[in-house]
Amino acid sequence: MAAVLVHIDLDDERPHPSSLQALAAGRTIASSWGATLYAALIAQAPARSPGPWSGAAMQRMPGNRKTIEAIRITLVRGGADKIVVALIDGPVVPLWSALGTAWQGVLDHLRPRLVLFGADAPSAIELGPRTGARIGARLVLRARPMQPSNASGTAGTADLELRDRDGSYIRMTDGGAAVCLIGAAPGPGAGAGPGPRSRPRIDVPDVPGAHGDDDIDVMMLELPGGGDPRIELAGTAPAELAHLTGTMIAIGDAAAGDPEIVQATARLAKALGAHVVGSAAAAATGVVGTGAIVERGAALTPELCIAIGAPSIDVAGSASLIRIGTAGGKGVDGALTGSVAENLVELAHALEAR
Amino acid sequence: MTAPVVAVWLGNAAPVRSIRWLDGVLKAAAKFPGATAVAAGEQDWLDLAADRAARLGLASVGVPTDLQLDYLGWAQVMAAVARQLGATTVLVDEASRPERFAEVAAIAELTDAAQLTRVIALAPDAAIIHASRAAGTTLQTVRVHGPAVIGVRIAGPPIEEYPTPAPSASMRRIELATLGLDPVVLGHRALPPRITPPARRTVERVADHIALHIAPRTARKAGKPGKRAKDAKDAKDTKDAPDPEDED
Repeated sequence: MAAVLVHIDLDDERPHPSSLQALAAGRTIASSWGATLYAALIAQAPARSPGPWSGAAMQRMPGNRKTIEAIRITLVRGGADKIVVALIDGPVVPLWSALGTAWQGVLDHLRPRLVLFGADAPSAIELGPRTGARIGARLVLRARPMQPSNASGTAGTADLELRDRDGSYIRMTDGGAAVCLIGAAPGPGAGAGPGPRSRPRIDVPDVPGAHGDDDIDVMMLELPGGGDPRIELAGTAPAELAHLTGTMIAIGDAAAGDPEIVQATARLAKALGAHVVGSAAAAATGVVGTGAIVERGAALTPELCIAIGAPSIDVAGSASLIRIGTAGGKGVDGALTGSVAENLVELAHALEAR
Repeated sequence: MTAPVVAVWLGNAAPVRSIRWLDGVLKAAAKFPGATAVAAGEQDWLDLAADRAARLGLASVGVPTDLQLDYLGWAQVMAAVARQLGATTVLVDEASRPERFAEVAAIAELTDAAQLTRVIALAPDAAIIHASRAAGTTLQTVRVHGPAVIGVRIAGPPIEEYPTPAPSASMRRIELATLGLDPVVLGHRALPPRITPPARRTVERVADHIALHIAPRTARKAGKPGKRAKDAKDAKDTKDAPDPEDED
């Protein structure tokens, strides 16, 4: 039986929400393909020494049994058939140089057909493409499970596929392995209609502590060997907003002067979980928070930027760019002209309904 | 340990929106004596890459080809050029085109080098490279020792217009065959031809697009599993349940 493997990042003592989103996608795909779903995480063995990376921000395998059981139950309820924990000597830092050897051990052990990462999980950017390169796999970025359409454009009855925003897809009938960064969890309609109906809210149950109600074993892989000494982590500090790479809303000064637009922008930011950035002038309206003021001409590289009006910030480095209130232009993925406030409200409403 | 020999991978096509990031990575590379800019693809792009490299005093290499490859295909091309140049460190312009960041890992894999993505500042220090890396909400300070492939997101100065580059005489052309690469074999990593989709113009289509970027949230509800968890469990139970048709 083919294996679908989901990499699980830990966020403090819980699986990262983006990893759980990938697990939910993995569950629907594995069920559709008749595959076994593995959830694998890398953790530092509690009793071992921190090794040469002791200065780094470390993430330990949560030491007490109650926390371990909570993670196990979360993954079981997320749909995992089997759970693999790779124990390493050093701390868990989201870099290939720190985790690559252990992750290779997991890949060697399971030889998966499909490997999924949460697109917003901390390790995904470093581990995802390298995993693909190592196993010679196709790579699809920011995808979601969908029911393929048939020739008439309606929902077909074939197995689910993973499809990204540019139309690349991974299907069960494809030859070879594939790696996919999941950008949205499957909604209730993932198997029922042609369009995505995703609302990637991951409800993690509180676990009272004792034991789970599912009998799923945890496979522990002891993978000794440290990180790659060629990359030495000297320290960490909080990043400035300008260096974040998630989703950003950049608002122009004129747009920030309209209270309706300001209110709608805040609503859209909440629906997306995005930061709003703008100039000092825009900040005076309150839509841009303290620390989110970006100097004129500064260049950002977010995964997605929604530019409202004419921001003074350079958003050309965005992986995806949506403009609201101005016509498109070179390399723009979407543009909504007309009333800015109305478009923002409609957009927020459409996202909230997902 | 000797100072790194640096090559800069500029990719196979011109930046999507701005050449600011192209200039930024070239400027970062110019801190390393003898760095070479490398581009592959069609002639117009090679001319632009050579022009921007020459403005910063960098030598350039071009691999002319009309192939359209995936991340592993282009990584094979760049890895072969790096071997030809004797480069120990490869800088990759991650920001000019969104698909490029995956090539960092692929080049590192093919050259057996360490990898580092999302670097926002670089400084050579003899055999070591100091780098700052954006990692979620933190900024990591990293020292790189030995062979490495580094994905760079450093902006050059703002630029509105730039002169159309003339065909470059200074760029050294290297054919795929000279690199030991067979275009037919490389074609196994080819991508199907794709038309650039027009910008989405309706709220529904834009919402569909940006739904892939909604930050996942964790809702902790005491006592019972959340809906998403129940959906997943239901899906699993459906799979595990015997097929009614098998019972006959």
